[in-house]
Amino acid sequence: MPRLRELQQAFGSWLQFDDASEIAALVCANGLAGNRRVQIYRNNLLVTLTDALRAVYPVVEKLVGDGFFRFAANEFIHHYPSRHGNLHLFGHEFAKFLSEFAAAKGHAYLPDVARLEWAQHEVYHAVDHAPLAPQSLTAIDPDRYESLCFTLHPARRLLYSPYPVVRIWEVNQPDFDGDQTVDLSASGNCVLVLRINGAIELHTLARPEYRFLATISEGKTLGQAVEAALEQHRDFDLNHYLAKHVQNGTLVEFNLA
Amino acid sequence: MTSPAEGFTARPIPARAGIGLRSEHYQDVVASRPAVGFFEIHSENYFGLGGAPHRYLETLRTDYPLSFHGVGMSLGSVDPLNEAHTQRLKQLVDYYQPDLVSEHLSWSSLNGQYFNDLLPLPYTREALNHIVDRVQQVQNTLKRQILVENVSSYLQYTHSTIPEWEFVAQVAEQSGCGILLDVNNIYVNAINHNFNPRTFLDGVSARLVKEIHLAGHTVNEFEDGTILIDTHDQLVCDEVWSLYRDAVRRFGPKPTLIEWDTNLPKLSVLLDEANTAQTIMETLHAQVA
Repeated sequence: MPRLRELQQAFGSWLQFDDASEIAALVCANGLAGNRRVQIYRNNLLVTLTDALRAVYPVVEKLVGDGFFRFAANEFIHHYPSRHGNLHLFGHEFAKFLSEFAAAKGHAYLPDVARLEWAQHEVYHAVDHAPLAPQSLTAIDPDRYESLCFTLHPARRLLYSPYPVVRIWEVNQPDFDGDQTVDLSASGNCVLVLRINGAIELHTLARPEYRFLATISEGKTLGQAVEAALEQHRDFDLNHYLAKHVQNGTLVEFNLA
Repeated sequence: MTSPAEGFTARPIPARAGIGLRSEHYQDVVASRPAVGFFEIHSENYFGLGGAPHRYLETLRTDYPLSFHGVGMSLGSVDPLNEAHTQRLKQLVDYYQPDLVSEHLSWSSLNGQYFNDLLPLPYTREALNHIVDRVQQVQNTLKRQILVENVSSYLQYTHSTIPEWEFVAQVAEQSGCGILLDVNNIYVNAINHNFNPRTFLDGVSARLVKEIHLAGHTVNEFEDGTILIDTHDQLVCDEVWSLYRDAVRRFGPKPTLIEWDTNLPKLSVLLDEANTAQTIMETLHAQVA
């Protein structure tokens, strides 16, 4: 009689490596062959994990079509097996996988679309945080502003793509009924993914504004963030962007470095 | 989610019909406040720390009792229990104070890799001892009773020595947990493994059954045989309603859940199914009384 560990190893070898040599012998035929029975579990697993990817990456699926998506999902599942009982954590390497997937080489923008969709997935589930009270900044001596370190709301992600990913994402929404043409040679996007009252929004940022927030998100000071923004554009308006991102709840905490 | 100190007080689930709460129905449910006995959620759908899922659940929790149903704990695996998973569940249970917390009599992981399915255990003494120990570990961590659910299966192991119903009952007897009796799974297994589903009901005592699940399944025809797959994507079939009537006769009215996970219909379809279950409980209970 196989021990429980041996049984689970035999079953795991089948599900993971397509090796049915051990598991089929442990299964009663009873009207349907053992290999047919274990095949059901492989199919179920593939369907479950593919559906989990579909739920997170609907635009990638729409761009490549159902057949190619299933092919890609199959390969992905083989190379990046699930590591969690919580399926919402499955699939974060899909963008990386697509960037290395030879069959997807013709769609250079796909990995960035996948990154954008994963960012939205993370933002949807991220922890809540109270906004920063605007008056709390007035208590700070303006001379010390440049050594302020801000924290971004946990439900915010910054993303840059050399492709017009926001336009690609928008024209592939189920309720979009305008002109679907996307000019792939159009300039790329700096994107802030944010959650407002539970709903996900995509905001396209100006390049200096993006550098500003990205530098803050790296834990740098306000002074360093302004410097980085000024490298992009010498007329960066700090007051405007600071007020904007306190108001939209992106900058939620600060301390003095 | 805010701190557990601001959580909710316990709210018992009545012996009435409830439905699974799915994100597609959030707005409809909050707006219409349907007259169901309780809502059941998939615990893992709330493992995220914030955002819309928790806002909706907090809103509904003030008006309805809740049941937390897990699919990812991998209770029967020989891997150590996933500490991060149980601790996150504990945070959720401490905060929302669901009346029922359940998991499956199955396994889904090995060497840290997850198969995200409900894989069957062999029904042996070794597996029984193993899962009793795991259920007790979870109950100790959560500091409360859990329920375990009998799963659908598409195979039997040649070395199983205990009938499934006896295995399920023994897990509950030995660990102190309750049974979430899935009547659809009993029917699916009875067809797949050729036994009388009433034998399963007779093998479980009423005091152990704390909840019943009902769902739809899919019939798969192969050239060499037929097998039923537990897909949760359609109406409860006549044979399962018939078996449910027998279960209510035997166990009395129990919190009964309509499960629907794939190809989700509009809310009213789930409510109609729940209403059918409710009517069966009331009719049979009135006859007894």
